[in-house]
Amino acid sequence: MKEDIEKLRNIGISAHIDSGKTTLTERILYYTKRIGVIHEVKGKDGVGAKMDSMELEKERGITISSAATHCLWKGHRINIIDTPGHVDFTIEVERALRVLDGAILILCAVGGVQSQSITVDRQMRRYGVPRIAFINKCDRFGANPYRVLNQLRERLGMDPVLLQLPIGLEGDFRGVVDLVKMKALYFQGPHGEDIREEEIPDEMLEEASAYREQLLDAATMYSDELAEAVLEGQETEEMIHRALRMGTLARTLTPVLIGSAYKNVGVQPVLDAVNHYLPSPTEIENTALDLDKDEAEVVLKADPGLPVVALAFKLEVTPYGQLTYMRIYQGSIGKGDELVITRNRKKIRVGRIVRMHADEMEDITRGYAGDIVALFGVECNTGDTFTDGSVNYSMSSMHVPEPVISLTVKAKDNKSQENLAKALGRFSREDPTFRTYVDQETGETIISGMGELHLDVYVERMKREYRADVEIGIPQVSYREAITQRAEFNYTHKKQTGGAGQYGRVAGYMEPAKEGAYEFVDSIKGGVIPTEFIPAVDKGFQSCLVKGPLLGYPVLGIRIVINDGQHHPVDSSELAFRQAAIGAFKQAYMKAKPIVLEPIMRVSVECPSEFQGNVMGSINQRRGIILSSAEDGTFTTIEAEVPLAEMFGYATVLRSLTQGKAEFTMEFAKYSKAPESVVEELKKAKSKSQEGRK
Amino acid sequence: MKNFMKVSPLRLLDMSAEKELGHGNLGVLISRAGVGKTACLVHIAFDRIFSGEALVHVSVEETPDKVASYYNVIFFDLIKALELDREDELRLMIERNRMILSYMKGSFSVDRLRQSLVNLKQNLSFVPQTLIIDGLDFEGAPRQLFEQLKELSAEFGTETWLSALSHRHKTEVNDRGIPYPCHQIDDLFDVIVHLAPSTDGIYLRLLKDRDHPISAGAQVRLDPNTFLVMAE
Ligand SMILES: Nc1nc2c(ncn2[C@@H]2O[C@H](COP(=O)(O)OP(=O)(O)O)[C@@H](O)[C@H]2O)c(=O)[nH]1
Repeated sequence: MKEDIEKLRNIGISAHIDSGKTTLTERILYYTKRIGVIHEVKGKDGVGAKMDSMELEKERGITISSAATHCLWKGHRINIIDTPGHVDFTIEVERALRVLDGAILILCAVGGVQSQSITVDRQMRRYGVPRIAFINKCDRFGANPYRVLNQLRERLGMDPVLLQLPIGLEGDFRGVVDLVKMKALYFQGPHGEDIREEEIPDEMLEEASAYREQLLDAATMYSDELAEAVLEGQETEEMIHRALRMGTLARTLTPVLIGSAYKNVGVQPVLDAVNHYLPSPTEIENTALDLDKDEAEVVLKADPGLPVVALAFKLEVTPYGQLTYMRIYQGSIGKGDELVITRNRKKIRVGRIVRMHADEMEDITRGYAGDIVALFGVECNTGDTFTDGSVNYSMSSMHVPEPVISLTVKAKDNKSQENLAKALGRFSREDPTFRTYVDQETGETIISGMGELHLDVYVERMKREYRADVEIGIPQVSYREAITQRAEFNYTHKKQTGGAGQYGRVAGYMEPAKEGAYEFVDSIKGGVIPTEFIPAVDKGFQSCLVKGPLLGYPVLGIRIVINDGQHHPVDSSELAFRQAAIGAFKQAYMKAKPIVLEPIMRVSVECPSEFQGNVMGSINQRRGIILSSAEDGTFTTIEAEVPLAEMFGYATVLRSLTQGKAEFTMEFAKYSKAPESVVEELKKAKSKSQEGRK
Repeated sequence: MKNFMKVSPLRLLDMSAEKELGHGNLGVLISRAGVGKTACLVHIAFDRIFSGEALVHVSVEETPDKVASYYNVIFFDLIKALELDREDELRLMIERNRMILSYMKGSFSVDRLRQSLVNLKQNLSFVPQTLIIDGLDFEGAPRQLFEQLKELSAEFGTETWLSALSHRHKTEVNDRGIPYPCHQIDDLFDVIVHLAPSTDGIYLRLLKDRDHPISAGAQVRLDPNTFLVMAE
């Protein structure tokens, strides 16, 4: 059975922590009959809301992983992809944003747009995700949806259009006025499942017409049909929906709904809005890279008849085995089909294929382009592309940032050691920004990632999910090395001891590369180094990048060109050329004036304006560069770039500087040259630790 | 960067008596909507930044992200138009020498600006030589606000450039030739320039040069795409 793709929605719910994402999701699943009971979030019945399947998440009250769940609403199929609310989990958020076509941005009617909402919104913008906004918690003391509306305009630069007005507010919040229908809506029954439509209360009529005017003004920008109809007073609900949809898809207009998920007010209209305004998979352009055509970009079409292209965006271990969440971009995937993983050309056969409903699942026989399904028993990594083998596409490489922070983990006993190994294997397959390796010199296991909280969460998961009793070290900043100028090499590796000798000469140069980590160029003419040895040369160079000769940090942004060399008919071997490359690297590296790079974070601090000076001072003391400061009458938002090394403990400092009234977020921005003073410190620390080991 | 200095819109001031706006003074750029006020101000900013000065860009009602993106776009066009190398170095100069202050939701006041300048000086030792103020509503602002701005410029010793929006239907001009919306406050400005499109480019014309007489040809023709001075 092939379902109507126009009526499919892949959406995310994105929110600042605590704005009610879990509660809203739970209500949605209830109204769409996916669940029979409503539990309070972090409820005393110990069941909790559906989307938070991990124990840890419940404890922390944050949603860490992006599970997907499927539901039906008025003839539309909606896949809800859970997007993490915390900005530290950048890769998780970005991956979720990749597979969804639209989003609901939840805001708290009291707290409004906070700096985390700004960061999350910035990410959505980067991925071009159309969105609708839901102002939640209108029942709370201090709720003011109109203020939040202004913040959407001013802080997020959106063109928000209010689709509803609140009837009563705070404790008196009873319902909403629907400005499209021009009716009052009340939500009754034990869980607000019965919607009663009534006339707008008299005292609100004037306000309602004024806001409807504004709505029509905004909507007519997108539809001549509507504009003409409005002139004649002939506009229909359908016309208004169509125009608002155009604006939403163009990402220049944001429909805004209001309600209280907790009090069951205004949730069903959010689902209606998802159907009305958010795109179907056919309305969003997705691209892949054709590896057979030098990574040329190809546009994918959500057509089940075309070759299969699917992306594994999330792995999960369940009692029934490994579950792989996939978005099918093109073609269809059915039981028994053969698929190829682009990364390693491995073939797999599709066994069980299911659709997820929170933590229950439904077996299906085939999934079609545009849909999200889950497969059992597939060995792969998160982010892998699957095809049917007739094309060699990879979904455009998601930019995976270099980790910025690392720490040591040590298992306390043998059992824990075993469990730790399992956990580390799992985490690095789930999350490319989580990396792990064993330091050759110290024998310590190191994990690295995108921030303190990012690693914290994995350490917690080691303990809870994997029962690994571990001890962790102090977080360390991940430094990198890079060269700054071109340097030549010409190195001969020669050994004559007893039997067969070793001989290989490699010549060329190294230079800084603009993008990426490492580039190897073979410009050898006339076979002076035979082709079969070239990969050994390449490998030799690569082995040097793991620990740069300057201070032992990984080397970034280097281009190595070989253009001359020599071999010996008897004594040359792969090993000899590998050694020659290592020698050549060492010969040239220091001549290429290497420097140390440190991770720089983009930091955004929001504080009451009277603390602007204090906050500026605190950033300046941390070697930060302030980029801008924006005020809105009460709050000031300061944007800066600050070395990560200086950000440890900043939360505490900020709290005491601002009487706890400031908030900050940060995300990785770039690697930059570390100043001399920092390099000196690093050198000292290095020689100390070497002495310590002697 | 010499190339840029030769064709920057500020070359207009070569035709003024003192060849510059001068520290502690107020200058204003008048034009109608859509002609390129902000672009022209950003060029003035580049002229100052690339000669090594620190600058504060004040935006009334636009976010720092938006302002930064104007700079990026114009910088990118400059690099292309003038075939400049040293791109990274120039970017770094912009990053280090430019501070963006935005005032949203009608929060702009000279007192808030003064407080921010004090904070920048005390906490970062950032002392701008140039102040750019874009987007100030001249129609709604009282004369007193401009007086305060003049005091502020004198206090911090900045060259302060403002932009003012004129309208097609407001044709008032005072007897000194200064048009709306500056016709009643022109005494507060040391230099007034006017930006207007024409068939062969955009003209930047000097309307006031302190007490000095202005020669008839005191204007430069700008390329409408790059805002750089075109050869005559
Ligand atoms: N008063 C009120 N509280 C709410 C509402 N929605 C959620 N909450 C409460 O806010 C807290 C955080 O909600 P939760 O759904 O866990 O937010 P999440 O962190 O975004 O998933 C919980 O205590 C909820 O009961 C609402 O509409 N009104």
